Amino acid sequence: MNFTTNSNLPWYVLLLPLFSAAVITLFTRRWKTLSSYISVAAVLASFACSCAIFRKIDISAAEITWLDLGGIFKVSIAFTLDQMSKMMLLIVTGVGSLIHIYSLGYMRNDEGKSRYFAALSLFMFAMLGIVLANNFVMMFIFWELVGFTSYVLIGHWFTRDAAADAAKKAFLTNRVGDFGFMLGILMIWAATGTIVFDDMVPKMSILTSNSGFLTITALLIFCGAAGKCAQFPLHVWLPDAMEGPTPVSALIHAATMVAAGVYMLARVAFIIQASQTALLVIAWIGTITAVMAALIATQQDDIKRILAYSTLSQLGYMVMAIGLTSNEAALFHLFTHAFFKALLFLGAGSVIIMLHHEQNIWKMGGLTKRLPITFLTFGVGALALMGLPPFSGFFSKDAILARAYEHNMSIFAVALFTAFLTAFYVTRLVVVAFFGRPRSDDARTADEAPRVMTAPLIMLAILSFIGGLGFFAQNFLIVPHEKQVVIFVPILAIIALVLGAALAFSLYRNRESERFNVDLLRRKLYFDEFYGWLIRSTQERLASIAAFTDRWIINGGVIGGAGAGTRGLGSLLRYIQTGNLQAYAFLFGLGIVALIYFTVLR
Amino acid sequence: MLLLIVLLPIVAALAIMLGAPARKTALASSIATLLLTLFAFTQYNPQRRSFQFGISVPIIPDWHLSFSLGLDGLSLMMLLLATIVTVAAVWFAGKIDKYERAFYACLLFISGGAIGAFASLDLFFFYAFHELALIPTFLLIGIWGSGNRVAAAWKITIYLALGSFVLLLGLIMLYQSVPENLRSFDIPTLKSAAGQIAPEAQRNIYLLLLIGFGTLISLVPFHSWAPEAYASAPASAAMLHAGVLKKFGLYGLLRLAVPLLPEGARYWSGLLIALLLGNIIYIGLVTIAQKKLDWMLGYSSVMHMGYIFLGIAAANPLGTTGAATLMFAHGLSIALLFGIAGEIRKRTGTLDFDELGGLGNTMPFAGLAFGFAAFAAIGLPGFANFAAEIMVFFGAFRNGWEMTRFHIFQIATLLALWGVVISAVYMLRAYRNIFMGEPDERWNAIVDLRASLRFPVAMLVAVLLIFGFFPQYFVDVVAPTFRTYFSTAQTP
Amino acid sequence: MITLGHYLCVSGMLFTIGFAGVMLRRNIVIILMSLELMLNAANLSLVAFSRFHVDPATGLPNYNAQVFVFFIITVAAAEVAVGLAVIVALYRVRQTTHIEDINTLKF
Repeated sequence: MNFTTNSNLPWYVLLLPLFSAAVITLFTRRWKTLSSYISVAAVLASFACSCAIFRKIDISAAEITWLDLGGIFKVSIAFTLDQMSKMMLLIVTGVGSLIHIYSLGYMRNDEGKSRYFAALSLFMFAMLGIVLANNFVMMFIFWELVGFTSYVLIGHWFTRDAAADAAKKAFLTNRVGDFGFMLGILMIWAATGTIVFDDMVPKMSILTSNSGFLTITALLIFCGAAGKCAQFPLHVWLPDAMEGPTPVSALIHAATMVAAGVYMLARVAFIIQASQTALLVIAWIGTITAVMAALIATQQDDIKRILAYSTLSQLGYMVMAIGLTSNEAALFHLFTHAFFKALLFLGAGSVIIMLHHEQNIWKMGGLTKRLPITFLTFGVGALALMGLPPFSGFFSKDAILARAYEHNMSIFAVALFTAFLTAFYVTRLVVVAFFGRPRSDDARTADEAPRVMTAPLIMLAILSFIGGLGFFAQNFLIVPHEKQVVIFVPILAIIALVLGAALAFSLYRNRESERFNVDLLRRKLYFDEFYGWLIRSTQERLASIAAFTDRWIINGGVIGGAGAGTRGLGSLLRYIQTGNLQAYAFLFGLGIVALIYFTVLR
Repeated sequence: MLLLIVLLPIVAALAIMLGAPARKTALASSIATLLLTLFAFTQYNPQRRSFQFGISVPIIPDWHLSFSLGLDGLSLMMLLLATIVTVAAVWFAGKIDKYERAFYACLLFISGGAIGAFASLDLFFFYAFHELALIPTFLLIGIWGSGNRVAAAWKITIYLALGSFVLLLGLIMLYQSVPENLRSFDIPTLKSAAGQIAPEAQRNIYLLLLIGFGTLISLVPFHSWAPEAYASAPASAAMLHAGVLKKFGLYGLLRLAVPLLPEGARYWSGLLIALLLGNIIYIGLVTIAQKKLDWMLGYSSVMHMGYIFLGIAAANPLGTTGAATLMFAHGLSIALLFGIAGEIRKRTGTLDFDELGGLGNTMPFAGLAFGFAAFAAIGLPGFANFAAEIMVFFGAFRNGWEMTRFHIFQIATLLALWGVVISAVYMLRAYRNIFMGEPDERWNAIVDLRASLRFPVAMLVAVLLIFGFFPQYFVDVVAPTFRTYFSTAQTP
Repeated sequence: MITLGHYLCVSGMLFTIGFAGVMLRRNIVIILMSLELMLNAANLSLVAFSRFHVDPATGLPNYNAQVFVFFIITVAAAEVAVGLAVIVALYRVRQTTHIEDINTLKF
């Protein structure tokens, strides 16, 4: 028998960050340092509670009713506490804690420090809500909140035009995804009459009875994930989101929020896996995103943008794994990626801040000596990202590749090519940014980051190293094991890695500037231009037509026409008023005669 | 007590005209009204299925005409909305340059009219109270407005008077169509006639009520008074009108058309859906194209009416409860938006998107408040608007559901969902252009909202958040009203 | 023998003269006089009707019509009083009693 402990711990995990955000917003906005400590304390406490939850086998928490209209519409704030959500709790609060601590250093002298930490706390609240949700509407609530906090944090430096635009773009792109997500939720609810994940499982037969419906629903749900995970064609916001502070990029746009889509897909896998068509579409969209983003990354100059595209590419891998029905592989990669990508971003952040906000890799160089800890940890992250054994990325990526090999050869080929590209752009990044001669004054005089920033780097570097090893990872999740160990899949992957790394190393070693200029990739395959054109020619055009119609046709024509018509009739009728008394009297008499005629004589 | 709530604003307005200190009296009376309403809220018992706090004074017994007041959940929440927004509007009004007395008296008259209309249980007074509120609206826009204020004032007045006229026709027909023994001005008595009105009559009456109330609510294509009037009106008047008085039409539909004319509603649902999608999609697009904040807010408030109509059209407890919640939430958020917009106009003299920018730097509190209101308006979870929209969407989507194909309600819900994206586009664009971006030299010297304005802002935001985090409080009060409407064992 | 017809003929002629006067004359005083003529034409026919409608039972004429006439005379007197006052006031302002000169109340 399952013995379930009822506990308030999940509530603490969820509400502590909210509490911190509220306190900072309401009371301690003026005291910036105090605010930051409150936020850090909240997330550490949350992490501690998560650890406690993780150690309990069976745990449940009281639920509260958020909305209940009787009948079939009832939304509760209730928790799912299974292996998957517990693991996510640990990742979110763990990586979150490290990044909060790192932020203490990174945002030390920032004007809006209180706002930053309040938003960060609010983000933790929202993200934990997604992780814990046991029903679609609750998930959607926190889903939207995550988008909102991401908006606030990307737009942290709101007086910069680029940041303001990026924030807006991120929120709107997410809203487009959420449009599909909500529609999917509505369809599932209307069909099965429930929004709770667990209650849906027995009712799956209703959905599977109509395969077209099922496919559409699954794809709509995926649409939400695509918005949050920045999958093609909704990927455009993530690179721009790098306008936010770097710890935000690390936490939200690399480790947690963007992975929420993958988590959600894994949570509702039972729906998606019922439709082969949906699975195929999802797998291919993941694959396309992976290879496309990797291609673009090879030609970027901004250190954070390279990492952003690499995030896109890795998320593509995860979505691919979901599409190949391997949730374990997807979650495993999510797990390792959270460590090494957060590490890379934080490393990049410490480079950026020590170089006085220089982000162009061609203005760096020669940093191995000046920033030794940053270099070493960044190197660990880079190796993990490339997938060199025994770093963590190797195992998780290998799991996905093996899965692709079993299921779909063409996807496997593209994925392998992406692995090659990954090694290429990561090596390019490391070689250009850290090796060679310093190419700017800032790079010549840079100093190592303070301890509060390097400590999280070291922690994450250790995690990135061991994260993929079985003895460590199996504590947290089901490490996927290939059924028949195909030995040449990892071999091929390593060959691709070595090729890519060697190529990049030979091409970029001691270079002062870019060798190739592929405009197509430099301009990100013209996606921004294309979307700009699309929006201008559809929505904006429609809007101006509608505004014109409203102003000149409805308001001017119909309403103004009615007004002018009344006035015109009046001005015609006034000619009857001749002012001649006798004419009036005559008409009056005529009227009486007519009256008598019609009433008396007829 | 209810009588006191209804009469207090009107008495205060008269006192101000007779010479009481304008701002102080207005503020004191509106706060007192709010407190009384809150007290009524605590005393209200949602378990009882009847009108509470009833008062009835017969006027013409032969016609069953009496001055009777009473509250059920729906009118209680509307009363709460009206009193909260009144306090905020009066508070935001500040110092008035000319005819200060008359200005505050007008505000209180609008408030009193709206409160009276919401609390009336008698068709005659229900109508008359609303008319009482129209005249001060005209004066407020015509005298204290900005821009092309006289034209806007005439436009809104003629429009609303015309709408009221059609509405009056509908009400008279409604009165005539109920069986002889139930013919009364008393709304509860009329309600007992539900189901006894001939289908043919229901259709005609519903159409008249829809057009009449629809004009008051700015249902497309009877909307063009709204943006212009709100753009010209002084901030407080726009807050009160968009926040409260406009809800009168929706309240009327929920109170009369939904329970009494189900057949009419069913018959015209196609038309209503088409019109409300006009509100959501067409006006949404128009809103995107606006270049000035006041016009944009005016259009956005027209657009959001579409969602409320969607909830009403859904014709099930879920949808109508959502509609009622949205009325409440939208009233608060739009009031806050207009209030902040008015403060910006006071400082910069313009609301043009191209001229403003970076105000978040100099007016952080205004930025925060506007951000709250804007995100509430676009339905961010945590605000009451989100809970309301969720109920509306779920309610509408369920209507006429079939696995195999989408019916008109599903398509309407789909398009309305897209409207959520549209509203995010224009709200974020406005926020981006006003508060974010490079600060303009010209606005370096302007000052933030004065400290005393924090109270009304905090109050509006707090109420939005409370009902956003705990919408069940709201639902518990309102839903019983609607359950009785659709008592024929219909699933939500 | 003078019959009802004779009275009515005279009354009709008077009414026509009055009507023509109202229609055709341009002096507002004369129009007012013509108006009186029309009223008196009506009075004449009313009195004539009264005289010739004798109640067979009592042998008395029908006095209702005569009461009517008194009313008309009273009203006519009031009308003349007000009308002349208006005309005098008008003359003071405009120095004319010609209606063609008094036509400001037109488009």
